[in-house]
Amino acid sequence: MTKRQRKLFIASIAFAVVFGIIPNANAMHIMEGYLPFGFCVAWGIVSLPFLVKGFFAIQKKLGQDRKNITILAMSGAFIFVISSLKIPSVTGSCSHMTGTALGAILFGPSAVSILGIIVLIFQAVLLAHGGLTTLGANTFSMAIAGPFLSYGVYRLCKKSKINQRVGVFLAAVIGDLFTYCITSFQLAFAYPSEGGVWVSAAKFLSVFAPTQLPLAIIEGFLTVVVMITLENYAQPELKSAGYLENGKR
Amino acid sequence: MKRHRKHLHGVTSIDYYACQSGLRQWNGCYKVCAAIVILILCLLLDNPWVSMAVILTMGVVNLRGNGVSFPVYLGLLKIPIAFLLLGGLGVALSISSHPMEPMSISMHWFYLYVTRETLMEALQLFLKAMGAVSALYLLALSTPASELTAVLRSIHMPKLLVELMYMIYRFIFILMDVQQGMKNAAISRLGDADFKTSCTTFGQIGGNLLILSLKKANTYYDAMISRGYEGDFPFWEEKKSVKAWQLVILGLYITVLLLIARITSVIDK
Repeated sequence: MTKRQRKLFIASIAFAVVFGIIPNANAMHIMEGYLPFGFCVAWGIVSLPFLVKGFFAIQKKLGQDRKNITILAMSGAFIFVISSLKIPSVTGSCSHMTGTALGAILFGPSAVSILGIIVLIFQAVLLAHGGLTTLGANTFSMAIAGPFLSYGVYRLCKKSKINQRVGVFLAAVIGDLFTYCITSFQLAFAYPSEGGVWVSAAKFLSVFAPTQLPLAIIEGFLTVVVMITLENYAQPELKSAGYLENGKR
Repeated sequence: MKRHRKHLHGVTSIDYYACQSGLRQWNGCYKVCAAIVILILCLLLDNPWVSMAVILTMGVVNLRGNGVSFPVYLGLLKIPIAFLLLGGLGVALSISSHPMEPMSISMHWFYLYVTRETLMEALQLFLKAMGAVSALYLLALSTPASELTAVLRSIHMPKLLVELMYMIYRFIFILMDVQQGMKNAAISRLGDADFKTSCTTFGQIGGNLLILSLKKANTYYDAMISRGYEGDFPFWEEKKSVKAWQLVILGLYITVLLLIARITSVIDK
């Protein structure tokens, strides 16, 4: 083999390893049993204040109009379904959206934290994505950290008059990447290597990067397409979901 | 009851097996407690022999008791593999500025190396996680989510959350149906012709799904109100009492796991 052929061969093997062996590149759910018991409890406690805040936000929303209960429940089911759909990919491997950015933009981050934990419970028992003991850690990364940052980025872009589609795209991509970073750090705290937590975090970040970086960008595009569809056809529905009130477009 | 051996995909499959499980008639609280105790034991003991025992016994219970066929169960166990492989890599590999024994790969700026200890740690972690996943399947394959929600209600979770869970669980299946219909319609019109088209299709299905779901939400609220909904779901539940022998089995099982942990730790020393 010439040098060039060998390079190509190695590249193709790397490609096959990344996309072939990994049949199901899930969004970053930490699997059941992967975190030591102490960390499971600790992340649960960290998530608690956000969940309490979310609970009161939902209660307030229901106090305004009892009818919001079915809308909230439908939103939760919507987040579940969106996150269980296979997204199109060039390689044929199957991967899923997280849907956190979309949820945060549409329903607000506080409501998403409560809907998120319910969705995560159902994902654990219906799809075996994530788990019951890692629920606290997953809630923090996917239902709290990701959505809050996405929402912040979205609002910031809006304030600084950046094109709205660019704002949605950035919110989704940055939220996704943040979720992935948080998950890597959660793993690193639990399994620090010789060089300490930072070295370990760098390892986890680089190991998950080949699947997560393209996923984040695809998720950004898909979120934009969903938002365009919604704005074209569903002004009244968006209002009832709270998107237009919050956003005041 | 005749058990179907059809392979189902996605959300419906685990729910389907939970509804036809042989352990369906066991008390829900008992099943939740048993699964969680086994999970916590797996994590706290952190002993490869205990994990292997849990993987094997839970495998037998899931195949025999829950009536899941072997190929399907293997397929279910494959779901966590991707995460476990990548996470295992993160634990097993270490970074160093100079080559290390027994195996290291040069990455130009630094060396990746694997030691016996980190490899063993990764392997132990893999077994522990697989044990925990098997225990999770014991719960997931024997208890439909509606029963799980009933258990949460009986431990006095806030009413609002329980109510939301009941509704979300039902709505998931309605939306899955709607989405499947949309997807079939799109694919039969060449909506997945190439990558760009399939992205557009995905986005449009997502958008339309939200529109439809919010419309449906209003309809369902009207339907519920007209049937006397006042913020309660008084569902009829079967009384399933815990039998003494079931408690004895669980007690024995926990004792055996603890014994295995004790014996192997003595031998290792």
